[in-house]
Amino acid sequence: MKDLGSPALLWLRQKQKKRRPRKPNPHLGPPLKSTRRLREIMTRHYYLARFAERAKPVAWVTSGAPVEILRTFDFYTFYPENHGALCGAQRMGPDLCAHAENKGYHPDLCSYARIDLGHAFSGKTPAGRLPRPDLLFCSNNICQTVLYWYKALSHYWKIPIITFDTPYNFREIRDSDIEYMTRQFEEMIPKLEEISGRKFSYSRFQEIVGYSLEAASVWGQILATMKNRPAPMTIFDAFVHMAPIVSLRGLPVTLDYYRLLKKELEDRVEQGIGGIANEQKRLMWDNIAVWFKLRDWSMLFAERGLNFVAATYTYAWAETIHYLDKGSPFESMARAYSLVILNNNLEHRLKMMGQMVKEYGIDGLVILSIRSCKPYSVGQYDLKRLLTERLGVKSLIIEADMTDFRTYSEEQVRTRLEAFFEELEG
Amino acid sequence: MTTRRQYLIKQKEMGRHLLGVFPAYYPKEILWAMNIVPAEIWDPPMEITAANTHLQTYICSVVKLGLELVLQGKCDILDGFLFPHTCDSIQNMASVIFDYIKPDKPCYFFYHPKAPYGQAGRDFYQRHLKDLAESLERQFGPLNIEALKQAVDMGRRISRLFQDIYDLRAKGELDASNMEFYQVVRKGEYLFPDDLIPELEEFLAQKKASTRRPGTPVILSGVLPNPHEILGLLDDLGVRVAHDDLLIGSRRLLIPPSNLEDPFEQLTDSYFAMAPCSTRGSSIVERREHLFRLINATAAKGVIFNVVKFCEPEWFDIPNLQNELKGKGIPSLVLDTEVNQGLSGQMKTRVEAFVEMLA
Repeated sequence: MKDLGSPALLWLRQKQKKRRPRKPNPHLGPPLKSTRRLREIMTRHYYLARFAERAKPVAWVTSGAPVEILRTFDFYTFYPENHGALCGAQRMGPDLCAHAENKGYHPDLCSYARIDLGHAFSGKTPAGRLPRPDLLFCSNNICQTVLYWYKALSHYWKIPIITFDTPYNFREIRDSDIEYMTRQFEEMIPKLEEISGRKFSYSRFQEIVGYSLEAASVWGQILATMKNRPAPMTIFDAFVHMAPIVSLRGLPVTLDYYRLLKKELEDRVEQGIGGIANEQKRLMWDNIAVWFKLRDWSMLFAERGLNFVAATYTYAWAETIHYLDKGSPFESMARAYSLVILNNNLEHRLKMMGQMVKEYGIDGLVILSIRSCKPYSVGQYDLKRLLTERLGVKSLIIEADMTDFRTYSEEQVRTRLEAFFEELEG
Repeated sequence: MTTRRQYLIKQKEMGRHLLGVFPAYYPKEILWAMNIVPAEIWDPPMEITAANTHLQTYICSVVKLGLELVLQGKCDILDGFLFPHTCDSIQNMASVIFDYIKPDKPCYFFYHPKAPYGQAGRDFYQRHLKDLAESLERQFGPLNIEALKQAVDMGRRISRLFQDIYDLRAKGELDASNMEFYQVVRKGEYLFPDDLIPELEEFLAQKKASTRRPGTPVILSGVLPNPHEILGLLDDLGVRVAHDDLLIGSRRLLIPPSNLEDPFEQLTDSYFAMAPCSTRGSSIVERREHLFRLINATAAKGVIFNVVKFCEPEWFDIPNLQNELKGKGIPSLVLDTEVNQGLSGQMKTRVEAFVEMLA
C-alpha cells in the first residue's frame, strides 16, 4: 500500500489546514503531541480502506481475533467495533442503529452490531466509505454476540466467515483447549489461501507475531506510566490512543507509534506533567468507553481533580499478549487470545482489578454497566461489592451504552456522579 | 400427579444423585450412566427478587430464574450443578455462582464447540466428554463403560420415541393438545430413562389418533414454550403446533441415530447431527433450510417465533429468518416474551390476529 501513502498524506495535510486550534482547557494537562501522528495513522488507515477493495483481500475482524494470521496473507483488515466507536464518538449511533432496527433487529441487541448492520443497510459512515469485505473473521473470545452478528453480516453479503472458537476459561486453561485452538489455525490456513490467493509463509507469520508482541508490550508500558503521580495522561486519552493496538496490531507502524507515545509520556513523567492539571484522586474505569461522553466526562472529572489512571478495557490489549512467542506462534497465540479478560472467569477479573487498584493507587472505581455488552457487565454488581469489601475502594455503577445514547439518562447519571464525587471528597 | 421436586426427592431416596443442569446442550447419557439424574433448570415457577441484586435488568429471565433458584436455597436436594456454555449471560452467571456466590456444592462446566465445525471441533468435543466424565467420577465414582453403552442405547430409544411422537403430531395423528404435548415433552428435563421411556410409550399408545386432529398447523420456534398461556391460547384458537424449532424441543430431542460402536463417538456424532440452533452458531442458511423442511413436512401455514426478551442468540437470527419466510410467502409472528409473566392483552390480540390471517 506504499503507493497510496503520498496521496493519503496530501489529503490529510489539506484536512489539517482547515482545523482551528482548540482553546486549551485549564483543568486538563497539555495535549499529547503524539496525537497528531495518531490522527495521521488512523485517517490513513480509513482512507486506504477506499482503495483496498480489489487491490487486496479485505477482512472485517472482531477486536479480539488473532489478526496476525490474516496479516500473513496481506489482508486489509477493518474493525467494525472500532468503526462503531467512531460512530459513537460522532454521535451517529442512534441513527445507524435505527437503520438496523427498521430491518427487524431488536433495540436490545448490541449497539456495535446494530451500527454495523445499519451501515451495511444504509451505507452511512463518518469514514466516507468502507471497503466491502471478502471475508469475516470472528473470534468469540470477547463475546458470543460477535458470532451472531457476523453470521447476520455473512448472510446479508453472501461472504464466507471464519470463526476462531475459544473455549471459555471457567477454571484453568487445559491442554485440550490449546490443542483445539491450534488445530483451528491449521484448518483455516487453506481457506485463507483460497480467499486471498496467497500462500501461507511461516516465517512471515513469525515476523508478524513478533510485531504484535512488541507493540502490545510497549502498549502495556504506556499504560504503566499512569502508575506515576501525576499520571502523564488520562484514561480518556488512552481510549483514543488504543486504536492502533486494536486495529493495526501486527503492523510495524503500530510499534513505531507506541514507541513515540511512550517516549513522550516518559518525558512528561520526568517533568511532572499530568494528564489533568491538578490530580487529587485516582480512579479506575471498568467496561467499554462510553464514546459519546468522552469529552464531557474528561472535563467533568478533571474539573474536580479526578483522574482516571487505569481501565480494564485498555489493559485488555496488554494483559495476555506476553504469552506470544515467535518460536511457537500457533500455540502461544491460542493462549494469548483465549486468556483475555472477557474469555476468563470472574475470579480472574476480581484478582486483576484488585491488583490494579493497588498498583495504580486507586481511590475510586467507576463501573459502566453497558447493556450492549453482557460478558463485560454480568457480574459487575458482585465485583463492586467484593472490591469494596476487600479493598475499601469507593465505587459507583452507571447504566449506559457505549454508542446508543437513546438509553442514556443525563439527569440520572449526573445525580449519581455528584453523590460519588461527594463520597470521594468526604 | 407427582411434581418435579417430589420426583427428584424420590430419586434421591432411591440412592441416585441429582445434578442441577442449566441450559442447554450436555451429554445426559454420561450422567445417567453414573446414576445421576439431570434436573434441568429452565423456568422454575418463582418470582425474581434476590437475583436482581446480582444481575442487571437487561438479562433474560431464564438466566435470572436459574440464579434465583440457587439464591433462594431451592437447590438443597441437588448434589451439584452443571453449566453448559450456551450464551454470554449463562457463561457469566455460571461464573457469578461459582466464583462469587460460592455454593456449597460442586460445579461442573461443559464447553461445546460453536459452528462452523471442523474436525478439530469434533475431536475437541469427544475429548471434552471424557474430561467431563473424569471430573464427575471424582464425586460420583467410576464410570462403567458398559453402563455408558446402555445409557447411550436408552438415549437412542428416547430419541426414537420422541421422533415417533413428533411424526404423529406432524401428520395430525396425535390426539393431544399443545399444552398436553409440551407437558410430556418437558418431562424429559428431569425423568430418568427408566421412567421417561414408559411415560413416552404410554403417551404414544394413548394419543395415537384414528382420525386426523383438526386445527391450523403452525411451527413454533424459540427457546421454550413459555409463557405457558401461549399454548393454551393456541389450543383455544384451534391452532395445532405441528412441529417445533424449540431449544427445549426438537433441536435437542430429535437426534438421528449413530452407527458408531464407541459410546463417546456416538455421543459426539449426536451433538454434530442435531438440528441447527442459534446457541451453537448454526448459519442462517442451515436454520432457514431446517424451517422450510419442517413447514413442508407438516403443511404448516405459518411460524410463530416465541422469543425470550434479551435472548441475543435468538433475536439476531429473527430478521433474516422472517425475511426468508416472507420470500416464500409464509407468514410469521414474533413475540417478545418474559418467562412466567403470562400473555399481555396486546400479545393475545396479536396472536389472534395472526391466526385469523392464517385461516
